[in-house]
Amino acid sequence: MDPITFSIIRHRLFRIVDEAVITLKHVSGSAITNEGHDLMVSLYRADGSLLMGGVGFLHHLTSAAEACKSIIWRFEGDINEGDVFLLNCPYTAALHTSDIYLIAPIHYEGTLVAWSACFVHVYDIGAMNPGGFSPDSVDIYTEGFSSPGLKLVDRGEIRRDIMDTLLNMVRSPEMVALDMSSMIACNNVARDRMQTLMAKYGSETVDTACASLIDQSETLLRERLRELPNGRWQSRQYFDVKGETYRVLLTMTKKDDQLTFDFSGSSEQSPYGINCSKWASWGGLFAPLFPLLCYDITWNEGVIRPIEMIAPEGSVVNATRPAPVSIATVGAIQAVNNAACTCISKMLSASEKYASEATAVWHGSHFAIFMFGRNQRGTDSIGILTETFGGAAGARAIGDGVDVGGEVPNPISRMANVETMEWTFPIRYLFRRRQQDSGGPGKHRGGTGAEFAIVPHDAPDGGIHYVISGKGTDYPMSEGLGGGYPGANSNYRWVHNTDAANDGANLQPFAQALNDMPGEKENIAWGVYPLMDDDALYVRWNGGGGYGDPLERDPAAVAIDVRGGLVSGGTAKDVYGVVLDAGEVNDQGTVKWRQTLRAERRIGEAAE
Amino acid sequence: MTRILSATLVRDSDDAIACAGCGHALGPAGQPWKPAAVLSEVAMKGLGGAPYSAADDALLRRFLCPGCGTLLDSETALPGDPFLEDVVEA
Amino acid sequence: MSQSTDGKYVVASDVGGTCTDTVIFAAGEPIRLGKALSTPPNFADGVLNSVRSAADSMGLSLAELFAETRLFVHGSTVVDNTLLTRDGSVSGLITTEGFEDTLLMTRGAYGRWGGLTEDGIKHPVATDRAAPLVPGERIRGVPERVDYKGEALRPLDVGATEAAVRYLIEEQGVEAIAVCLLWSFFNPSHEQKVREIVNRISPETYVTLSSEIAPVPGEYERTSTTVINAYAGRITRDYLTSLQALLKGESYGGPILVMQGYGGLLPAEDAASRAIGMLECGPAAGVIGSRFLGQLMGDEDIIAADMGGTTFKVGVIQGGEFSHAREPMVDRFHYVAPKIEVVSIGSGGGSIISIDPRTNVPRVGPQSAGARPGPVCYGQGGTDPTLTDVMTLIGYMDPDRFLGGTVTLDMDGARQVFDEKVATPLGLGVEEAAFGIYRVAAAQITDLIHEITVEQGLDPRDFVLHSFGGSCPLLCGSFGAELNVKRIVVPYAASVNCAFGLVSADIVHEYTHTATRPVPSPAAEINALFAPMVEQAVAQLKAEGFEPDRQALEWAVDLRYGRQVHEVTTPVRGTTPFDDASLARLTDDFEALYERRYGKGSAYREAGMEMTMFRLTARGVMDRPEMEKMALGTTDSSAALMGTRRVFVDARDGMAEASIYDFEKLNPGNEIAGPAVIHTPITTIVLQDTQQGRMDEYRNVVIEFG
Repeated sequence: MDPITFSIIRHRLFRIVDEAVITLKHVSGSAITNEGHDLMVSLYRADGSLLMGGVGFLHHLTSAAEACKSIIWRFEGDINEGDVFLLNCPYTAALHTSDIYLIAPIHYEGTLVAWSACFVHVYDIGAMNPGGFSPDSVDIYTEGFSSPGLKLVDRGEIRRDIMDTLLNMVRSPEMVALDMSSMIACNNVARDRMQTLMAKYGSETVDTACASLIDQSETLLRERLRELPNGRWQSRQYFDVKGETYRVLLTMTKKDDQLTFDFSGSSEQSPYGINCSKWASWGGLFAPLFPLLCYDITWNEGVIRPIEMIAPEGSVVNATRPAPVSIATVGAIQAVNNAACTCISKMLSASEKYASEATAVWHGSHFAIFMFGRNQRGTDSIGILTETFGGAAGARAIGDGVDVGGEVPNPISRMANVETMEWTFPIRYLFRRRQQDSGGPGKHRGGTGAEFAIVPHDAPDGGIHYVISGKGTDYPMSEGLGGGYPGANSNYRWVHNTDAANDGANLQPFAQALNDMPGEKENIAWGVYPLMDDDALYVRWNGGGGYGDPLERDPAAVAIDVRGGLVSGGTAKDVYGVVLDAGEVNDQGTVKWRQTLRAERRIGEAAE
Repeated sequence: MTRILSATLVRDSDDAIACAGCGHALGPAGQPWKPAAVLSEVAMKGLGGAPYSAADDALLRRFLCPGCGTLLDSETALPGDPFLEDVVEA
Repeated sequence: MSQSTDGKYVVASDVGGTCTDTVIFAAGEPIRLGKALSTPPNFADGVLNSVRSAADSMGLSLAELFAETRLFVHGSTVVDNTLLTRDGSVSGLITTEGFEDTLLMTRGAYGRWGGLTEDGIKHPVATDRAAPLVPGERIRGVPERVDYKGEALRPLDVGATEAAVRYLIEEQGVEAIAVCLLWSFFNPSHEQKVREIVNRISPETYVTLSSEIAPVPGEYERTSTTVINAYAGRITRDYLTSLQALLKGESYGGPILVMQGYGGLLPAEDAASRAIGMLECGPAAGVIGSRFLGQLMGDEDIIAADMGGTTFKVGVIQGGEFSHAREPMVDRFHYVAPKIEVVSIGSGGGSIISIDPRTNVPRVGPQSAGARPGPVCYGQGGTDPTLTDVMTLIGYMDPDRFLGGTVTLDMDGARQVFDEKVATPLGLGVEEAAFGIYRVAAAQITDLIHEITVEQGLDPRDFVLHSFGGSCPLLCGSFGAELNVKRIVVPYAASVNCAFGLVSADIVHEYTHTATRPVPSPAAEINALFAPMVEQAVAQLKAEGFEPDRQALEWAVDLRYGRQVHEVTTPVRGTTPFDDASLARLTDDFEALYERRYGKGSAYREAGMEMTMFRLTARGVMDRPEMEKMALGTTDSSAALMGTRRVFVDARDGMAEASIYDFEKLNPGNEIAGPAVIHTPITTIVLQDTQQGRMDEYRNVVIEFG
């Protein structure tokens, strides 16, 4: 096919996805969609294979392909122009029930030529806990509405009976209705634009271009893989739920132009919703693979072809029904993301050509805290604390990680302003700032995480409640690379201040640090907690992993970090081996002290 | 002619895995090298400063060069878990 | 002052990145143009050079011209340049204690990916946040707190504030201080107190308060705006002061009006304290010029496209109104200020064509060969094929008459380089490859215009396309046809459009008041919010010499649906002050606008509506240049026919015979049938197959589709 038409069609396809994303954000109007960019839109070929992946939560690109294929199989003979299908069953293809896929066939002159699919994290899905993440659920049956495939729109007409049934099962149905409208509108835009494209270039030309686009991606990735050395690399993630520890163990093997991800050795599935299904793990490993290996390759089926996955059945990464999975996206899937990021980066590090692309893990553990209750205007509100989308970048071969710099699987996320949060919920922030000593030490430092504290403010019911399903409190999940330390782990505290409230003193309404907040500071990570009366919630989120030996870090960079409050004097000395006098590097002292530390390191046993 | 194997390791001209900093050999290429390194296991808690408030059993395993003390690799681990194995084929 | 009647000339100078353009107009006289190279960092020198070149063409000295000048209108890239070169004041920032990192965290990754292209976003490992204009050690938090209702929960700690100010000035040596406290737009008293303290300690320190420069919710964007203003504030003030002095030295004593990014003018004295307002004011002036031309021609819906050597820029005018940028950025910094939306891509005549060696996919830009060495065909040593070279290969350029015959094009050189670096790698013949590149460039532009029309709920078929700049008229016949615009206008003043916009703008003051009110609210309550703004605006315009018949007050309200994040600025079309009917009409208009912008079914009426911001635009109406209308003559254009040449015709997928015309010999009324090429002294206009061209009474070339 001629390269000119090909390049024009390729760019049009990208624009179509981009425009559909904008439609989704416009119509949805919710914070998690607009601020967090917790969404995805992609185009699929007539057989359901990925044609053009958009920039959203990347672990959805392949799962939605499976969802398409599942709909094609289930509704064979009953797929018509103007239909829209819904699928959100995690054991069919979805990641968890609250990320609903709406999938629509695209017809041209009566023939099915492509599919579009999108998701948003809906306002609520009717699980035990509000907001979709349901730590109290111990099976899929209590994780809310779940469908392996149904027809929501029939030839352009919304099926009211179906829609009403869905809305009948969720909290704040009017908000969920809006989420559904946004996804329908998004699919409509994708369909219209695809039809315009075919009208201009002819459906056969477009189809040929699509096929070559996929072949091209496959060729490019296989070429890249052949440039990289053969070998196998391992990564391990620990995560903790209610005192139990789970492992995701990944062995990635690269042979010629094939890449195999083997999760053998990972823990058995959990009674809590941190598990994920097979398709979720499959999506999870692609989330870092697209931006790390395919930053200059179109994200489509061609990238998927050279990849294989082995995931033992009944494990946290391939749970069997009816195991709960509502927290998968920030549970096992995120562990898969992290482990794949590490293995891929280790492989990149073994190549002169690609070593500069390697990165330690970014923002290894999300904290999915959903607030719910009546706000200062008396409205029932559910919403996520968007700070979890602030993230923290891992250190890279080319430099430090970006402080509060986001995450790899969701390339364009952001967090809301404090003023937006205080306007939306009856809360007041005491502080929100970068966290000292949270970025993983290394020759290149991991990006810092941050900390914040909130208290109730002007709440008609004296406060609100929140659902928390955090991990990464017992074990750091942002692994370092090439000797770099992991980023610091996360921490959540429920501050009870009953005594102080009772004697009316020492409330410290403007406390500037956790230590200044009087009362008991209980570690929490899982379940529903109050933010009522004199309670406070303190959150400290993880930093990014470090890269390389901290003793090789430029002492001047350490001094800058210490002066900026991002690294403590103690860590500068003990971990980085830098001696500072009044904030300035003592060159001789540093050289000597680093020599001493290195000498100490050499004394010891051989590892085996 | 050396070839890089990781951020800290190379394969030297004798086909051995070696420290990129000092050239100290750590065994033949294509084999696990960690057993030849100095192992230091330290508690994760407090390791990089106060925010490292990890569980008591969390460890950071540091694999150090016996020649120059460079930190060659590190891994988060629980006691008894095997070393992560990274092997670049010879 | 602005209506001062001494002198007959209005002089308008627009400082762009490369050139400073001047337009001089006087009633009953032809428009005069001047051009000179811009002279960063002392831009004022280039301004004088440019004005002098126009004066020369009138046979006047600078002093003679200024002696008869009643108004000097100015646009300048000085603020953009200060930020690009990081040449601003050493600045500090004072925030609410606990929120010192707001600027540095940039709402997480937002500041890392903001402003990146698709390629950049897909490659996060290679991306960094821009170094902040104020580093961490120059940021200090002070104890104080205001809540979401504007209630002061904790008073400003004066002692701590004094210490912070002294630290910034004495230890950090800052020359400017930005102040941004939480919720200050609801209650600015703490920020004002901080300024008093700074003034007491160091009266010469430049201070910007967020509650004055950007009184809107969202502390990150507000802080960033305040910091930009403080950082560039002193330079802007000094620049305008020195320009004033320089003009005075040339015996000009009249007022100086300065263009703002929102498309209105401010007296230099006011503009000096609002550096942020001057960002991207050149492109804004271009859109204003386009609107004026549209008014002359009876068109209210316009796509204003400008393509020069490096960039393609486009803005949209609908119903005579502009759309405003929603999340504006300068360099890689976010800010919030009313600004006409002008989007751009790095595609211009000098854009270099490259082929991705792995995918064989051709790209146009964003790298540019610039003015030196320029395209290969200029024969100045350029070795990279550019879009201009493609234009020569497909017959659009006349090798002997380029730029009025001052440059002879090196056709063979262009062909050889293009063959080697583009055609051969693509496996195509030279012409075939050149057609393809032309189409790629046109498709990129089509996609960009699609973004700001169709994706905003606008249908390009309702719009007239204005085609400005040296390169746009070569391509507009193709992308205009694909977008299906109503017709295309290649304006006579195409080369100095921004300067032209300056003389067709009004003085505009923008006032805002942030408050939340439910719908419905009593009209009297809403009027009470507007009253102080109206009073201030009327006094201001009066002081500037605008009589009531020259004052226009435009009300607007931002509305949103409950529990939704999108707000829509809705102009008030009914009577003001509000009565019940005009208030009801406002909400109807909001709903219609909302559905148009966000799509059918996006309105969420169940949660009700609320008003979140009240805006007043106060306009002092300026005289417009009187454009001389010429009589329309014969349709026969044969007198301007220079001959025929084979050129690329898009619809025929190849080269075809086309008529070649000399613009200088065309007369109003003349008609031309495509395919045809019209050579003008500054550009080349290409009419594609079946397109009909006509010169109108202002010497614009109007292209209709057959």
